[in-house]
Amino acid sequence: MASKFCRLLRPVVANFKRTRFLQQATVATQLCRNNTQSTGTTTEKRPTIRAPDTLMRKTLSEFGQYVAENLPKYVQQVQITNGDELDIMIHPDGILPVMSFLKDHHSCQFLNIVDLTAVDVPTRQYRFEIVYMLMSLKYNSRIKVKTYTDELTPIESVCSVFAGANWYEREIWDMFGVFFANHPDLRRILTDYGFEGHPFRKDFPLAGYVEVRYDDEAKRVVVEPLELAQEFRKFECSSPWETFPKYRQITDAEEVPINKEANKPQEKK
Amino acid sequence: MAGVSRKIVRCHTTGLTGLKVIKEPHEMLKVLYEKTLIALNKIPPTAAYRVNTEQIVRNRMQHVLTERDVQVLEEKIDGGQIEEVILQAQRELALARKMIEWKPWEPLVAQAPKNQWKWPI
Repeated sequence: MASKFCRLLRPVVANFKRTRFLQQATVATQLCRNNTQSTGTTTEKRPTIRAPDTLMRKTLSEFGQYVAENLPKYVQQVQITNGDELDIMIHPDGILPVMSFLKDHHSCQFLNIVDLTAVDVPTRQYRFEIVYMLMSLKYNSRIKVKTYTDELTPIESVCSVFAGANWYEREIWDMFGVFFANHPDLRRILTDYGFEGHPFRKDFPLAGYVEVRYDDEAKRVVVEPLELAQEFRKFECSSPWETFPKYRQITDAEEVPINKEANKPQEKK
Repeated sequence: MAGVSRKIVRCHTTGLTGLKVIKEPHEMLKVLYEKTLIALNKIPPTAAYRVNTEQIVRNRMQHVLTERDVQVLEEKIDGGQIEEVILQAQRELALARKMIEWKPWEPLVAQAPKNQWKWPI
């Protein structure tokens, strides 16, 4: 009888012990958590945001100043973006000197052209911003050179410096209609035969000007002007949800000060 | 040991496609640097491009004149293999000659229009 009673009671006692122990354990972890929180407030760790690389920014700004000092005739502004990239803003006249300097000078050696593209901002006086991205294998660094133009002003081609810029410039001519002077072979590259207009311009309609369909009676593909008028099409592009609320506010790129007195002849005392 | 084997290999190839081993790098570099310095002499002495480039070229010229051993020279110049250094010197010479025509030490051609570099607008 007694043994039976014991057998009944044992699991209850064991359970009681286990719950007591667990409670203690949870209290301990809570305490730990509180401790870490109190110390963690001083050094905030936000793993979703990239840590700023101050050393990198310093070397980049020094190099930007070096370029501006060597080419004061053309460099208008130097800045470092939030992602630690160096931008050199130049006057469109100086595109060949600046690109040659970045390629040929001993302490630059940007021998590779990574990309060349344009940005269309119709509200500006010069609506197209041309961006050149270069890479230096020697110093393991990249640089962006930006300049500007409009629909009518031709910009000097850099094919004589970087042969790889040939197709990129054709692409910009095709998509934006920026004319490159002294380009060896400036033709369309991406659009179809007989295409009219430049599709990447902001004033180019989303649906285009023509539609292409197979005509069963004519037994061939026909190109007809688009019948659907733009004012009857409404495109809702914005999402109802805020996808990246943290990044809603974009901070401006940091401007690097340029020494403008560097190249002037010193006054004799 | 590794240095010795590298030296033996280096006699035949630079290990870089299209870049041939040059037997007399000192003579070539000396000529190139002298030509560069002559070209730089035509630039006004206060121009930052002339000051900076002269400093680099004179420094390298000094190493070329004093050091006969190619491997030690490569380490002292620290610009990669000597054949690459020759390529760099050739590019700098061409640039210096073009710079005389471009005159990049003059004051800024024109300021950018207002808000040209402002982003986001």
